[in-house]
Formats: sequence, C-alpha cells, structure tokens
Amino acid sequence: MHLIRDVLDNQLVDRNQRKMGKVDGIVIELRPGQPPRLAYLETGATALARRLHPRLYQWIFALERRWGKCELPYRIPWAKVRDTGIDVEIDVEAEQTPALDYERWLRNHVIKHIPGGK
Amino acid sequence: MSKILEIFLGIVTSIGGFLDVGAIATSAEAGSSFGFHLLWAIVLGTICVIFLVEMSGRLAAVSQHTLADAVRERFGFNFYVFPLIAEVIVDFLVLGAEIGGVCIALQLLTGIDLRWWALPVAFAIWLLLWKGTFGLIENGISLFGLVTLAFVVAIFKLRPDLPALTQSLLPSLPHQDTPHYLFIAVSILGALISPYLFYFYSSGAVEDKWDKSYLGVNRAVASLGMGFGSIVSIGVLIVAAQVLQPRGITVDSYEQAALMLTQPFGYWGFILFAVSLGIACFGAALEVTLDTAYIVAQALGWNWGENLHPREAARFSSIYTVFVFSATVLILIGLDPLQLTLFSMALTAVILPTVIVPFLVLMNDRKYVGDHKNGWISNGVVVFTTILAFVLAIVAIPLEIFGG
Repeated sequence: MHLIRDVLDNQLVDRNQRKMGKVDGIVIELRPGQPPRLAYLETGATALARRLHPRLYQWIFALERRWGKCELPYRIPWAKVRDTGIDVEIDVEAEQTPALDYERWLRNHVIKHIPGGK
Repeated sequence: MSKILEIFLGIVTSIGGFLDVGAIATSAEAGSSFGFHLLWAIVLGTICVIFLVEMSGRLAAVSQHTLADAVRERFGFNFYVFPLIAEVIVDFLVLGAEIGGVCIALQLLTGIDLRWWALPVAFAIWLLLWKGTFGLIENGISLFGLVTLAFVVAIFKLRPDLPALTQSLLPSLPHQDTPHYLFIAVSILGALISPYLFYFYSSGAVEDKWDKSYLGVNRAVASLGMGFGSIVSIGVLIVAAQVLQPRGITVDSYEQAALMLTQPFGYWGFILFAVSLGIACFGAALEVTLDTAYIVAQALGWNWGENLHPREAARFSSIYTVFVFSATVLILIGLDPLQLTLFSMALTAVILPTVIVPFLVLMNDRKYVGDHKNGWISNGVVVFTTILAFVLAIVAIPLEIFGG
C-alpha cells in the first residue's frame, strides 16, 4: 500500500458506507529502537488547515475553540481501518463520531426548521 | 431503462441544456459585430468540450470517482484547493449572470424591472433543488430547453449565404477592431469550455450510478449531445449576423438581442427569444448551483447527492441554499447582466488551465481508468486544449480591458 497515493485525501466511509469526510492527515508514531507505527487517520478542518499553512491553522484553531465543536481533528485508530480500495472504510458508526458534528448541528438547528426539511 | 432510450434522452437533454447565458450573449455579440467570422470559435470550443465531457464521464463510470474526488485524491488537497476556490468564485459570477438572464427574460415578457425578479427566481431554483430529484433537474428542465431550437428553425427561414458560412469555419483575422474580435473569440471559448460542465457531468454520472457498461452511452451522449447542442449556439450567431449586423445593431444589452427573432417570426419572435433566454438560463442556473454544492461537498468528503433528502445531506443542501440566494446580490446591486456575463466568461477562461491539466494525468492513470485510458487522439486534444487554455488565460484579462 502506498500511504500518500491510496490513503491520504481519500473518501472516508463508515461501516454502512456513510460518507464521513476525507483522510485529511495521517499520524505516524515514532518509537525509539522500533520501526515507526502507523497510528491514526485524521479528519477535520484543523487537520486540513495545518497542511495548507501554519497561520491558517492558527486561525481555524482559534475559531473552532471559540465557536466550534472540534478544535482538534478527529483521530481514527488505524486498527479501525477495514479497507482501502476506492474509499477508506472505517469500522465505526459515522453518526456517533465527532466527524459529523457540523452535519448533525445543521440538520437539527437549520435544515429541520425549513419546510420539507424534516 | 434501455440503453437506447438513455442515449436518446441524454442527447435531447444536452441539446435542450446547451445554451446558457454565456453562449447566447457571446454568440449574439459575435454575430452582430463580425457576421459569420467567428463561427470557427464555436466549432473549436465544441470539439474540445466533447472530448473533455466524454473523459469526465469515462472517469466516473470506470473509477466511480467524480472529477473533484479524483483530482483531490491524485494531486492532494494542496493542489485541489486552487481549482476549488477558483471554481466557486467563477460559479458565483456565472450564477449571478444566469439569474440575471432569467430576470431579463421576465422583464421582457412583463415589463417589470429585472431587479424585482432576482429573489423570486432564486427561490424557484432553490425550491426545485430542495424538493426535486436529479432526474427531474436533468431531464425535466432540459426538455423545456428544446424551445431554443427556435434559433435553428430561424436559420432555415433566413436562408444565409452558404459559401460565406463554410468559409468562416476556418479561423481568420478581421480587417478592423482586432482586440474586440479576439475578446469575443476568447469569451465564446470560455462560455463553451466551462469547467462546471465537467464537474457536473461526472457528478451526474455517479448520481445516475454509471458503471463500465455505460461507456458507450457516455460516448454517444457526449459527442452527439454536445455536437447537436452546438448547432443551437451556431443558430444564435447566424441569426444575429443575418438580422442585427445589416442594421448596424451591436448587442450592448439583451433588449437589443431580443429583436433578432422578430424578422423570421414576427411578434412571436420576441416572445420566443425571451422564453428561450429564460429557460436556457434557468436550466443553467440550476446546474451551476448544484455544481458548487457538488464540488465543495466532494472536496471535503461530505454526504452529497441531489437524490438524497436534505436531512441526509445537511451540509450539501446548506451550501446550495446559501449560494443561490447570495448570488442574487449581484443583480440586486444593479450590475448589468450582459456585462456580468461577458466578464464571467473571460474569467472562466482564466481558471481553465487548473481544471484541464489534471485530465492529462488522470485519464492516463491505470489506477483510475484501467484499460480505458486515453488514446493518442484524446491525449492530443487535451494537450491542445491545455495550451489553448494557457493562451486564453494569459490574454483574457488584457483583452477584456482593450477589447471588452
């Protein structure tokens, strides 16, 4: 497997194929005297902003801390990854994760109140 | 549904959906200012667009990725962020122009000032997206678009000079006013090779659940649909050249363009023009709005799909809701729809390279298209279009200043 080609920036789906963001970052753990270990996948605005520019990252981080919900990117342990074919499939229930915080908030506070949105 | 029926429907909707505010404005301006001379630009743009649309459909059918998905995956977010932001900005201006086109049509029909129409039109677009399905948007609205075939009927009534027509299929330089001529040529190409078409078409292929068995349908719809569709654009140019140019009318506003069908059809020609303009722009406005929601949602991995209930794709539906209403601001503050159209078409030309270059890589990458890679002809066309896109991107803004 080629981490950058087959995993980074791919679509993340949960065990029911529900879309839950993209792989915005990959965390590798360095251990003294042992080979590096693939630890987490990250998803969320802060992870994405960090890749673009450090200052953008600081802004997004500050915004998220003030008004937002997930100031730290949502980290998925590599052990939860089931498949890295077309999409990266994760063994979780998307609705129960912070990855869909904003989706849930919009659904319950905005979309639901527009006629036809229930 | 049988494949033949799908091909037929695809072609009909491509013809009905071909015209938009940009194609009408640039073709009418070209015909009224330079006669048949700029026909070659429509033909050239159509050839490029046929190849690129076929590729976006093939990419989606084989790899199950939309163009936006594939570009982010293959090139990384740090690249994709540029075409993404550029496309959202251009979509915003184009959407403003399309809404403006519908408002002008309603003003022509009712006499009520176009600014009063902006919000009702945006509401109608939003309501269709909110309640409708992809099939309704794609097929229903484009069927009404067949009214634009009035421009093709008009050619037969006007009997243009055939030798002059065929001669103008080859590029030539005019005797005077070269910057304006080149500016219109760039705008025509910008209006035809519009990036939103590729993102939209590949998203549509995924919405319609295309797989490898649809490659034939895709090829037929892309080539015949776009090919026949361009005849409507050619119709607008020829009618403008036959009716407006001899009278010395250049298209400075849509009201002047509205006269072009009155010679072949009399009073009803005026109505036909307004209805064609309104429906063509309304259909395009729906597509541009949806396209923006598609590319943002796909860039960030959100749930997306016009067939989903808004509650299943809350962020996706919020994007188009906010987008369609904010684009009306461009009309409400009193920007002239025709100027807005020409400006956004030139800007489209500027962002074109960032959208076209990825085709060259994606369509030759086995990981995405497997055995259905580009042949040398398709690659040749992409390379040519890329060079063309770079040239257009560089000359568009200077020409806008000197020739627009």
